[in-house]
Amino acid sequence: MKRNINLFEILFSSCLLLSFYSSENSLSAQRDLYKYLPDEDKIEGWKKDGSLQQYKGEDLYLYIDGGAEIYHEYGFRKVIIQDYINKNEKSISLEIFEMTTPESAYGIYTFKTSPEGKELDLGNGAQLADYYLNFWKGNIIVTLTGFDEDEETIEGLLEIARAVEVKIEIRGTRPSIVSMLPKKDLVPQSIKYFKGNLGLYNSYSFFTKDVFWLKGGVKGDYKDGYSLFIISYDDIDESKKRFSKAKKNFRESPRYKNYEPFVEKAFQVKNDRGQFIFISSFDRYILIVVGIVTQAQVKKIFLNFQEYINNKT
Amino acid sequence: MAKKIGRREFVKKSAKIGITAVLGTGVVSQIIEGSVRVFEGEHIDIGVVTGSDYYSSTIKAVDLIGGIKRFVPKDSRVAILPNVQRWHPGTYTKPEIVRSVINMCKEAGAKEINCLSWLDRKNWEATGLAAVIKEEGANLKLVEREEAFFKPVKIPKGKALKEACIMKEFFNNDVFINMPITKDHAGNKFTGTMKNLMGLNFSTSNRSFHKKDWQTDKNAIEHLDQCIADLNTVIKPTLCVVDATEFIITNGPMGPGEIIKPQKVVVGVDRVAVDSYCKTLWGIKDEEIFMIKFGYEHGLGEMDLNKVKIKEKKI
Repeated sequence: MKRNINLFEILFSSCLLLSFYSSENSLSAQRDLYKYLPDEDKIEGWKKDGSLQQYKGEDLYLYIDGGAEIYHEYGFRKVIIQDYINKNEKSISLEIFEMTTPESAYGIYTFKTSPEGKELDLGNGAQLADYYLNFWKGNIIVTLTGFDEDEETIEGLLEIARAVEVKIEIRGTRPSIVSMLPKKDLVPQSIKYFKGNLGLYNSYSFFTKDVFWLKGGVKGDYKDGYSLFIISYDDIDESKKRFSKAKKNFRESPRYKNYEPFVEKAFQVKNDRGQFIFISSFDRYILIVVGIVTQAQVKKIFLNFQEYINNKT
Repeated sequence: MAKKIGRREFVKKSAKIGITAVLGTGVVSQIIEGSVRVFEGEHIDIGVVTGSDYYSSTIKAVDLIGGIKRFVPKDSRVAILPNVQRWHPGTYTKPEIVRSVINMCKEAGAKEINCLSWLDRKNWEATGLAAVIKEEGANLKLVEREEAFFKPVKIPKGKALKEACIMKEFFNNDVFINMPITKDHAGNKFTGTMKNLMGLNFSTSNRSFHKKDWQTDKNAIEHLDQCIADLNTVIKPTLCVVDATEFIITNGPMGPGEIIKPQKVVVGVDRVAVDSYCKTLWGIKDEEIFMIKFGYEHGLGEMDLNKVKIKEKKI
């Protein structure tokens, strides 16, 4: 009997300790992001409006029900949200997201930004589009949203963004695959980096299902009116396998017509919008060219990529 | 001994949406469908009005399919479900369209008009919808995000979703007007009438629509769309009024995003047909959206627009 009581006591104490540790751990994890909130003397004229909100992991659905899945695909950890207001009742919402890696932060940054925005010199990359400012630094992505495009709102967005940026000391680099996009005629802010099918599907829905088994990829738009997608795999075997599966899907899908072999290890189809799509396999990559483009242009793109791969290896 | 209820009495007693909770699932649709009156004029499935006066467009669009009195009986309680997910332009149902529907319901003799939501008051205020609802004398009923305020509803025909959890307040109404804005959605590319019903469902249940770990689950989009179609088998709107005036086609559903302005108000009873029509406004193909196909497979409506009677008008 005595032994049982002791065992119960030990178990009870352990549970208490564990629950204390878990809640402390969770709280301290959230507090990590507090340190990035701007100092009040650095954002003159703006004060906090309402209380701070915070969401972690799966709970992101409570904040952006219906919009959380794309964050999870890129790799989401937690977010804090604080609204600000000035004397003229202009409002700005500040969201600081911690992603799993710098690649994840860069990925969701490319997802949220548009080709029309104005690039800013902030963090590892920043853009202001109307009243919407995004920047990424390390594994952090910061989103500031105003409610109008008035001068004082835009000034407030920039001021708060700068005050947050200086507090983030970590830095990150873009995923290496991004540098594989040819630079000539590339529309710089058109780049989208993918970490899964949902990102690709939102950029161009080749198929609703994940035909490419996408783990990493990038897209860039070019001035002539075409887009280039580069999808990477762990090794050549996997790339070959996925290329073969993709070929089968393109051939059999009613959405795509005029299937024809193109150059070596490549084929072309026409989509239901009348655009040509060229797909090829190189080493551990699949390349796709979509849009207004001639066969000669595509041959050159493929040739240049092959040379790039050869030089790299 | 249990007292038998005759058909006439049953219909009378069933007038409230709430009766479904007692009788079980699948009945919601029948009761609400029953509230749509026979229209003796030309049968039109979808009414579309294009113009910059969104208030008038809404009235004219409803007139095209028979007028509001076909859908809202005198002394009825009307539940309205606009989309107020965010306050960025092109992400929420416009206040003038909601104002128009409220006024039409009042004109039809509705006893009570209730805008329902489990979203925060801030969303309603920032979008300007709270002000319109107050000005027009309707009620804004905000339901707390706690399970106690929601009622489990079995989904017998559900392929992926077997049970929903619908806000109890919804069942205190006789008529349901579904008022989404059509727009982009990162999860499945398209939001419209069918997806808007997630706004009645408890957030924990909604979360199960989205599979965990998107990086490894290859069927996540399909799962989400099947859940949406399943949810629609137990709730049928009396009328759908869709804001297709100005909406985002990127960075949805929250925005901000690229906005297009077709300036259309689209109305109809057949959700599948209405969604099928709306997706064409920004060139989405049938094959790109599972939800519409799944809705069609459930028998919720027609996805082939060649089989649907559409009447369009410009003002």
